[in-house]
Amino acid sequence: MALEQKPPDLEIGPPITGLEGSDDEPIIAITEPLWRIRLRLLWRSFKKNWGLFAENRIGLVGLFVIAIFAVMAIAHPILMATAWGGDNREIYDPVIGYDAVVKEFTVVEEVTDPLSEIELIDARFTNINAQVGDVIEQPQQPASPSSRHLLGTDPLGRDVLSQLMFSTRAAFFLGMVAALVTVFIATTVGSIAAFFRGFVDAFLMRVADLILLMPLIPILIVIGGFWTIELWQLGVIIGILNGFGGVAIVLRSQALAVSVKPFVDAARVAGGSRWHLIFRHVIPNVLPLSFLYMMFGVTEAISLEAILSFFGLLNVEMSWGLMISIAQAEGYLLRGLDVWWLLFPAGLAVTFLAAAFFLVGRAMDEVVNPRLRKR
Amino acid sequence: MLKFIGVRLIQMSLLFLVFLSLLFFLLQAQPGDFSTQFLDPRIPPENRDLIAARFGLDAPLWKQYLTYMGNVLQGDFGVSFQRYPRTVVSVITERLPRTFFLFTFATLLSYYLGFVLGKVLAWRRGGSQEMSITLGGVLLYTVFYPWFALVMIWFFAAYLDLVPVNQFLTPLRWRDAPFSANSVFTSIIWSTLLLSIGLGLALWASRKPDNETQRRLVKWGGVGLTVAVFLAFWMPHEQRTYATDIAHHALLPIFTLALVAFAGVMLITRGSMLETLKEDYILTARAKGLAPKTIRDRHAARNALLPVTTSFVLGLAFIIGGGLITETVFSWPGMGELLLASVLTQDIPVAIGALAMVGALALIAHIIVDVMYVFLDPRIRYQ
Amino acid sequence: MTTPLVEDSTGGLKTGDTLLEVDNLIMRYKTKQGYVSAVEDVSFVLHKGEALGLVGESGCGKTSVALSLLRLQADNGEILGGEIRLGGKDLVPISEDEMRRHRWNDVSMVFQGAMNSWNPVYRVGDQIKEALDLHWPERLNRAETRQRIGDLFALVGLDSDAQDRYPHEFSGGMRQRAVIAMALSCNPQVIIADEPTTALDVIVQDQILKELKKIQADLNMSIIYISHDIAVIAEVTDRTGVMYAGKMVEFGDTGDIFSAPRHPYAWLLLSSTPSIVGPRRKLAPLEGEPPNLLDPPSGCRFNPRCPFATDQCRVEEPPLRDIGDDHQVACWNYEQVPVGITSGSVV
Ligand SMILES: Nc1ncnc2c1ncn2[C@@H]1O[C@H](COP(=O)(O)OP(=O)(O)O)[C@@H](O)[C@H]1O
Ligand code: SF4
Ligand SMILES: [Mg+2]
Repeated sequence: MALEQKPPDLEIGPPITGLEGSDDEPIIAITEPLWRIRLRLLWRSFKKNWGLFAENRIGLVGLFVIAIFAVMAIAHPILMATAWGGDNREIYDPVIGYDAVVKEFTVVEEVTDPLSEIELIDARFTNINAQVGDVIEQPQQPASPSSRHLLGTDPLGRDVLSQLMFSTRAAFFLGMVAALVTVFIATTVGSIAAFFRGFVDAFLMRVADLILLMPLIPILIVIGGFWTIELWQLGVIIGILNGFGGVAIVLRSQALAVSVKPFVDAARVAGGSRWHLIFRHVIPNVLPLSFLYMMFGVTEAISLEAILSFFGLLNVEMSWGLMISIAQAEGYLLRGLDVWWLLFPAGLAVTFLAAAFFLVGRAMDEVVNPRLRKR
Repeated sequence: MLKFIGVRLIQMSLLFLVFLSLLFFLLQAQPGDFSTQFLDPRIPPENRDLIAARFGLDAPLWKQYLTYMGNVLQGDFGVSFQRYPRTVVSVITERLPRTFFLFTFATLLSYYLGFVLGKVLAWRRGGSQEMSITLGGVLLYTVFYPWFALVMIWFFAAYLDLVPVNQFLTPLRWRDAPFSANSVFTSIIWSTLLLSIGLGLALWASRKPDNETQRRLVKWGGVGLTVAVFLAFWMPHEQRTYATDIAHHALLPIFTLALVAFAGVMLITRGSMLETLKEDYILTARAKGLAPKTIRDRHAARNALLPVTTSFVLGLAFIIGGGLITETVFSWPGMGELLLASVLTQDIPVAIGALAMVGALALIAHIIVDVMYVFLDPRIRYQ
Repeated sequence: MTTPLVEDSTGGLKTGDTLLEVDNLIMRYKTKQGYVSAVEDVSFVLHKGEALGLVGESGCGKTSVALSLLRLQADNGEILGGEIRLGGKDLVPISEDEMRRHRWNDVSMVFQGAMNSWNPVYRVGDQIKEALDLHWPERLNRAETRQRIGDLFALVGLDSDAQDRYPHEFSGGMRQRAVIAMALSCNPQVIIADEPTTALDVIVQDQILKELKKIQADLNMSIIYISHDIAVIAEVTDRTGVMYAGKMVEFGDTGDIFSAPRHPYAWLLLSSTPSIVGPRRKLAPLEGEPPNLLDPPSGCRFNPRCPFATDQCRVEEPPLRDIGDDHQVACWNYEQVPVGITSGSVV
């Protein structure tokens, strides 16, 4: 991931014996296949960059948090196949599961605490003879955390922990789609703009300016209102907007710096075609920086997804944003800490995962941009 | 200078035209059209065509486009579906000042606080502080904003009961108010605008005199005078209690939006300050024997301000998006809330009008910052 | 304006009186890997009206000495010992606030990267005014300030009107001249010029050196001139200190040092530099690299590269000793160093 690719210092194997003395023969020869050499160089530069990255404790914190979420994402299908599978599936399915935790409620005229009181009209659904002051048994939704539901249930009686873990997968999926599309487009656009200069460059950069200026969230909201957007479509939209927008500008200046380097000139003189030059020399040198922007792209995608599904503008089965949205729609928000399991797991999950990718991006920035490093 | 502003204005107008065109095609690309969406499916096809023809929907696309652009440029965004027969423009003009108010105050507050804190933090950087500041800043910056706003409402409004829960005003108090909420609101905006201009002038004038005591006199005298005039205007004012009601409601949304935007500003300022502090002219300033505070404010922070100003343009979309969410979550009846509500109720003319307005707002803010930048950085003044 | 352009602010010191004494100065940078001993036991004296040179390879601690004199070393640098006496007053123990009053007023500096010494967002004149406002004994009004800056500009060969311009409107040479004007602005007793011309092209470099020398002579100024370029030092200074790896290894009259260096390092340094004037001579190589100051060699710091090194050199550190004629050398075997630099290599 070194920003400047130095001409690889060739790995030279031990001298081949038997050739000494003959002056016109080379006394050393390359004994390893090229791919092994490449791999070793790659590994060495990875180790060096990892060292730089690991100096930054904040980046490690980010990686650690991402790892925790990854474990959650992987564990969910396993749990659904084992402990939460079979008959338990009806209880623990994040979308269509249901579990009525039976609790005692006091019948009252006007409910002040929905977790222990029930209005007369509602009580008569279960017990037609219910009177104010009676204590009746009633399934509780949302149910507070118990050994059965470690994070309680949501207002529709579904297991919050299962929802939380299930949504992790969606977040990673969306982040990856958005990041890959961003990087693919931005690298291509940036390299082409830098390499062809002139009109192409000017045009692509004006497009980038335009996109940068457009308020993304309002536009996504309008799009989400007109169409039914799926998760992957959202990823692609974010990827396209970022790829043609800000990231393209940054990668273009990087590609510009690369395309005037001696080794590109050398390749040009050697008669490489334009596309060959772009793909073999410019893009590989711009890629490290695009990885960096991938991280910021993931952050953005996760936040945007949460916001859109919070407003109900995304066609998604279950997501962190949706979980908050449901809690709000059912009027549980102003109860704050009383129903903490409805508010905090999902809200913090979005925040932490987005922050973790952002922190990793910052730490990578310090590896790629030496000027940011501490001395 | 004027030429620069002129060129910028022309560029931005062109950009706005492109933006409007994109909106038109966005409209066109949406599934179905007006005639399938809003007409009773039992209407026979001939009549349907007739209605479509009456609305010009049978014309070729380019003609529709020209009509649309022509109308839009004359400020005609059509009629709201939900609030028929009010025009989109009248709905928007009612909402615009409220958004402007929220946006301006939150932005000024967040940039001011973020800049001051970022500057101080960079000045006395330290190991343990480094980690917690960055973590805290990044968490605030990436926080799931609608959720954060809800938690803020719960904490400050429901739990601590410091501010009213929601809305723009207390309906009960306004039931037989002798004036409309908007007229009170307009007075608030104008008076605070004049207040800020007065404060700005006082600070500017205080840099002129030669010695320190005079400078301080001008500064505090100017500030005191402006504040006194502001209070003298409002204290006896008949709308005062109503104005304080609105201000009371505005407190939490402004604070919440500012808090989140503040984190990004602080991180950028701090980074930019740390870069600036490595510059040679800082060493020169120290060698001249200047006081640390002078070096920090006059030399380091003044230069660190340049990247922060640039980042404002990039952060604009972020703040506008945040403003929209703020309005929605806090039921603050501004442009953002209008946009979301119209999207959810399929009030397409209003949605498009609101989006165009939001885009215009972004462009105007961009131009203002561009012009400010020219004043801040002499290196680009003569180009 | 009755104030003389550059007045004698040295309290009646006469040419040749002791102005600045540095005694056993030790300054080290604290890093993760340990202490970088950048200034180790450095002593010298600067007289009124004298141009003193500090010369040595890049990284030997010249800038560190200069910054220590103003107590402006980087945050991780610390003065661990020694005295810096200006007009008899030690600057090391005084408070930071008091130190600030001495900066620029008594000791001003022209920095290594003088090109970037200007804050890009302020007018050049305003940046000089800042120093005047702070240090000038009486308050100058606007017209007086302009007048003063105009006079200073005339002294360094700039237009008075140039003070209204921004740094980016100046050429490199102009910026450097303006920096010199700023350094002169408060009538300092000492000016430290750290590689003042290194970043400039040769012709401008020469012009500025000549002017600086003339100003110094005209105003009878005391100046410490720092450069890695021995030609520059030879041209402008009266006395010279040669530094190696944070230590002062030779000190004496510039003429003496350049004609007959006594320290092996100085001798090799001079021999390895082609001379444009004078007879052609064979170049003696100065081999190896300067030591890592995190862990300098024991004994004499030059011993790994020294052709005259003995066992004693590897264990015992040579003190800076007087060898007569106001000439000091820190070497056990200086007598073995050939006198004169015309004879090429002995190795
Ligand atoms: N802030 C610092 N922290 C650690 N080491 C430093 C610092 N500044 C300079 N050094 C080291 O101190 C030594 C002397 O540097 P310097 O005084 O700049 O030398 P010169 O001016 O002669 O080139 C060098 O080895 C340099 O690497
Ligand atoms: S003391 Fe020894 S090692 Fe050092 S310079 Fe003299 S001869 Fe060389
Ligand atoms: Mg130096």
